[in-house]
Amino acid sequence: MIDLTGLTIDKIKQAFKNKEYTAVELTKAYLKKIKEKDLEVKAFLCVTEKLALNQAEIADKMIAEGKEQPLTGIPCAIKDNIMVKGEQCTAGSKFLKDYRATYNATVIKKLEEQGAIFLGKTNMDEFAMGSSCENSGFFPTKNPHDLERVPGGSSGGSAAAVAADMCVFALGSDTGGSIRQPAAFCGVNGVKPTYGAVSRYGVIAYASSLDQIGPIAKNSDDCKIVFDAIKGKDRCDSTSFDLPLDEKTFDVKNLKIGVPKEYFGEGLDPIIEESVRKAIDFYKQNGAEIIEISLPHAEYALACYYIIAPAEASANLARFDGIRYSEIVKDGDWDIVDSYLQNRTAGFGAEVKKRIMLGTYTLSAGYYDAYYKKALKVRTLIKKDFDDAFEKVDIIMSPTSPILPFKIGEKTEDPLSMYLADVYTVSVPLAGLPGMSIPCGFANNLPIGLQLVAPALKENLIFSVANFLQKNYGIR
Amino acid sequence: MISEEDVKKIAKLSYLKINEEEMKKFEQDFSSILDYVNKLKELDVSLIEETANMANVENVFREDKERNFADVKLLAALMPRQRDNYLEVKKILNNND
Repeated sequence: MIDLTGLTIDKIKQAFKNKEYTAVELTKAYLKKIKEKDLEVKAFLCVTEKLALNQAEIADKMIAEGKEQPLTGIPCAIKDNIMVKGEQCTAGSKFLKDYRATYNATVIKKLEEQGAIFLGKTNMDEFAMGSSCENSGFFPTKNPHDLERVPGGSSGGSAAAVAADMCVFALGSDTGGSIRQPAAFCGVNGVKPTYGAVSRYGVIAYASSLDQIGPIAKNSDDCKIVFDAIKGKDRCDSTSFDLPLDEKTFDVKNLKIGVPKEYFGEGLDPIIEESVRKAIDFYKQNGAEIIEISLPHAEYALACYYIIAPAEASANLARFDGIRYSEIVKDGDWDIVDSYLQNRTAGFGAEVKKRIMLGTYTLSAGYYDAYYKKALKVRTLIKKDFDDAFEKVDIIMSPTSPILPFKIGEKTEDPLSMYLADVYTVSVPLAGLPGMSIPCGFANNLPIGLQLVAPALKENLIFSVANFLQKNYGIR
Repeated sequence: MISEEDVKKIAKLSYLKINEEEMKKFEQDFSSILDYVNKLKELDVSLIEETANMANVENVFREDKERNFADVKLLAALMPRQRDNYLEVKKILNNND
């Protein structure tokens, strides 16, 4: 019996080396765990058992032949908006319930080349629009720490799968906080890379100027291994690029940490504030300098996001028309326009319709300047706030979420209260920066996340800073 | 405030139909979100440049060379109606157009 509790890449590699178990045995253990545990957590939309066992055999062969790479034989889960050839790819939408991916996303190709194993596709808010997984077109996922509560979203299935030991790591996607917020809610680590650091080819687009794929894992070392595997320039995504190597040695005594005063104001649960401040104080005790900074336009970030993201979504989701795939209403001899209307009306859920319409509205004649253009200008100001702050500090720390994981159904009636769950995470993709959520404590047995934000391309600094806390600070 | 009339117009532009039961909730949600984003009106941005994306690269060129899609059969299998791997679609233009 393999104990999967808290299993990390490092430990598995050691076990492979000591011949304690094979990749096939490990994969079978995870598949068994999913069969039992996922009955209550419901993190997976589908389990790709056949694929996983095939990949595990290949991994064992790679190991036997001495061709092992960092992720060879490591079982993982993939958010269901990332294409794995031949498998379903629904983006959490009924619209795509019968859709099967016709090619591999670049990140999938890269993981497969390393010999990683795909256990299944994870649940998410429909088209990544949501902060709780309750907008999934299929079923809500539960938080493994408290099954009455949400796991966060939109990558809630991925975060819950990692937290419940149903995989070693998972891929998620982050547009306004969709990796970091569920990582915080589930007590795991989640990284949103610098815009362009990871190819978006093969991910179902929500808001193209914001979307990034990133890892969710048990610790920062695993996040780094996965990030290093998936990053890099890709000819199929012209915004992608190769990150320069940043191998400067890290010393906490030279670290300047910025703490934005705007992120510790009204709306923040005091119990979260206490936990986050305590973690930041730990860096101070170890020699880091803490500097209070200001991000003066922070209060406008959420409004800016809720103009830009739906505007881009309204364009991206125009492709779903039921013509080339996913005809979900049987053809009633309509003309082409009626056919679009029937399929789109039946296929999209309420939140997706709302955001498509919101985007259509803010891009329409007469409102474009007042909303969309204005939001693009505010985006410049938000970016400048960070540029100014990084003149004085190396890294910025804040809570990931202002609230603890909430009860399922608690916020579904009031969209704005749900949107406010992302108030500390939305600025980061608007400014194109890398951000990470790491666990920093618990309150009422629910996890709390600390958000780390660095200048563009400084992922390695984030990993070092996160690693320092994880190696030296007890969070329970 | 946004009216039922507005919602209907936006729905039409979005190729969506909103039925009577959904209408009230849409109006409410829409109005509350628009009220919130109107916060941006507080800011004077007349001298600020727009930022449409945060790309770290510009003018990315590549050879303009065709590539064959690896698995046409998988694509064709998804098509609601097809003939010999070609998608069958409805008539878009009338004879009189």
